[in-house]
Amino acid sequence: MLPGIDFLFTALTPFHIALALGGVIAGTVIGALPGLTATMAIAVLVPLTFYMPPASALILMGAIYTGAIYGGAYAAILLNTPGTPSAIATTFDGFPMAKRGDGDLAVTLACLASVTGGFIGAAFLLGLAPPLARVALAFGPVEYFWLALFGLTLISALSEGSLMKGLIGGCFGLLLACIGVAEVSSDIRFTFGSQTLLGGIEIVSALIGLYCVPVLIDMVATPARHLQVSGESRGFRLNEALRISLKSKLNLIRSSVVGTLVGILPGAGGSIAGLVAYSEARRTSKRRERFGTGEPEGIQATESANNATVGGGFIPTLVLGIPGTPPDAVILGALLVQGVRTGPHLFTAGEGSIVYTFIYGLFLATALMLPTGLLIGRYAYRTIVTVPKALLVPTIAFMTVIGTFAIRNNVSDVAIMIILGVMGWTLNRFGFRPSPIVLGLILSSIAEQGFVQGWTIGAATENLMGMFFGRPIAIAIIAFMLLSLFYPLIARRLRFNREEAGAK
Amino acid sequence: MPSDGQRDIGGMAVAAVMIVIGLVFLWDTTNLVDSDSVVFPRTVIFGMILFSIMFIVWNFLRPSGADTEGVQGGSTPRRIGLVAAMLGCAFLMPYTGFLLSGLAAFMVIMLLAMHEGWTRGRLIVYPLIGLAVVLGFYGLFAKALLVPLPEAPFL
Repeated sequence: MLPGIDFLFTALTPFHIALALGGVIAGTVIGALPGLTATMAIAVLVPLTFYMPPASALILMGAIYTGAIYGGAYAAILLNTPGTPSAIATTFDGFPMAKRGDGDLAVTLACLASVTGGFIGAAFLLGLAPPLARVALAFGPVEYFWLALFGLTLISALSEGSLMKGLIGGCFGLLLACIGVAEVSSDIRFTFGSQTLLGGIEIVSALIGLYCVPVLIDMVATPARHLQVSGESRGFRLNEALRISLKSKLNLIRSSVVGTLVGILPGAGGSIAGLVAYSEARRTSKRRERFGTGEPEGIQATESANNATVGGGFIPTLVLGIPGTPPDAVILGALLVQGVRTGPHLFTAGEGSIVYTFIYGLFLATALMLPTGLLIGRYAYRTIVTVPKALLVPTIAFMTVIGTFAIRNNVSDVAIMIILGVMGWTLNRFGFRPSPIVLGLILSSIAEQGFVQGWTIGAATENLMGMFFGRPIAIAIIAFMLLSLFYPLIARRLRFNREEAGAK
Repeated sequence: MPSDGQRDIGGMAVAAVMIVIGLVFLWDTTNLVDSDSVVFPRTVIFGMILFSIMFIVWNFLRPSGADTEGVQGGSTPRRIGLVAAMLGCAFLMPYTGFLLSGLAAFMVIMLLAMHEGWTRGRLIVYPLIGLAVVLGFYGLFAKALLVPLPEAPFL
């Protein structure tokens, strides 16, 4: 028997269905706009929830969150711009697919993967929340440091052409993220006296600049369409997408579990979940050489993982009162305003009404994402491929400017975004791809914080080696990292040995 | 695509620029007082300089091909115009307000992105669509999402 099954019907009232539907649609549209994140979508709509019962409020916020994470995939696939940071890795294969004329298929695949990830994340939340919340507590600064380094190993996968260029780009990204106020000591670094740089480089602005502006620069220069268009209407291509999804069901399940587990870790979030899942999908795939060139498995891994962080992130939020992801922090604040006290007691028989109604509401919102996501996705795809360039380019450019400004209400961020875009376009001409730079930018603060805190604790306890290399979870992450780095070499060697043995 | 046997001059130039950037950033760390703020960026800087030197040396000793695309076709003035329009919009925003600077940038970029001929219909419809897009987004952000977009001081 499913826990709290009695509350399933409470979640399925017409009011809750309407809330979930409205939330998913609003979230999807907001997530699709570059610069508007899931956190912002929820923060803006939080006041609406103050007049609702807590379970209804949670359903609305959960639906917005789910929709926004999925919505980020549209811009990633069709414009090479992650609508939300969670969709960074979706650009790696989504945009190449769209460029070769399979944007509609990529959007449908992303929708199916998001629904799968959403269901698996919610299932973990339903069945295993209290024990899994303890995993989050076992993660110390050193484990976060190794997790960030694990994410950085993806540079080897993203370095098309030259690994060395990827490593240089990764270091450059790590360094860019150090600009501004230091993570640990609050020293001001690398601003060279400029007030503009004091606030540092905002990650979403940097993403928009590095991914979207180069596309705009090339779009404006040539009359050719930026995406290939098929002559005949091919509908949703749902059968094709279902066939591909069934073939790679293991990838979908593994990525969803990765997403849930990363979502549980406070501060890690959907972008890291997507990157780790992408790395694992690439490592284990038989078609790993096709990753980065429009491989459906890459989209499936990222999208299932980032939507699984929704359920995963709610686990520490509801059990421990520690938000797993930034949107969870806003939701936690809204719950506190409502007078809801979070803790394991929320999952007990007497007090389960709020949390179980919400979890079934999350299942409902995820299910509603399938029809709405497919419809909005098809509309978005058709709009992007049919709108004349003279309207498309200024509209996207305007969206990047207003979206970047809205993040911190800062004109400097807009200027930095454009400059980074020009820099990204120029570096790309010389074979330095934007993805390693972005990876460095995202992982820098987690790596630095973990490293410095781990170093301080290790030095204080006079056990630096034990601190960094002696903790069980750290050892497991290091093992995965080494496996991820050297597996292609080992696999090649094993294949070579097998072929030699066969020849004899 | 890399072309075998050729030195990647462009890549080497970028690597050299990265070494210079690394050295400038390294110099800046000497002004920091707390060792906690220094250890991580210095490690990264040393890594960046090391990889850049390795890349340059490797290219000299065993050139494996240039992985550079250069500027492949298209109009460079339009590219420069787009960047200038976007930057202009950002810099004018505090003085003219978001609406005016956004509208001006939209119209300039629309002219730059127009590769087909202007017909009478397009001359009327496209600016109207542009106006609707700018006003629509302005309304969404300023009124619905309550983002404090800069207002023109003279309005």
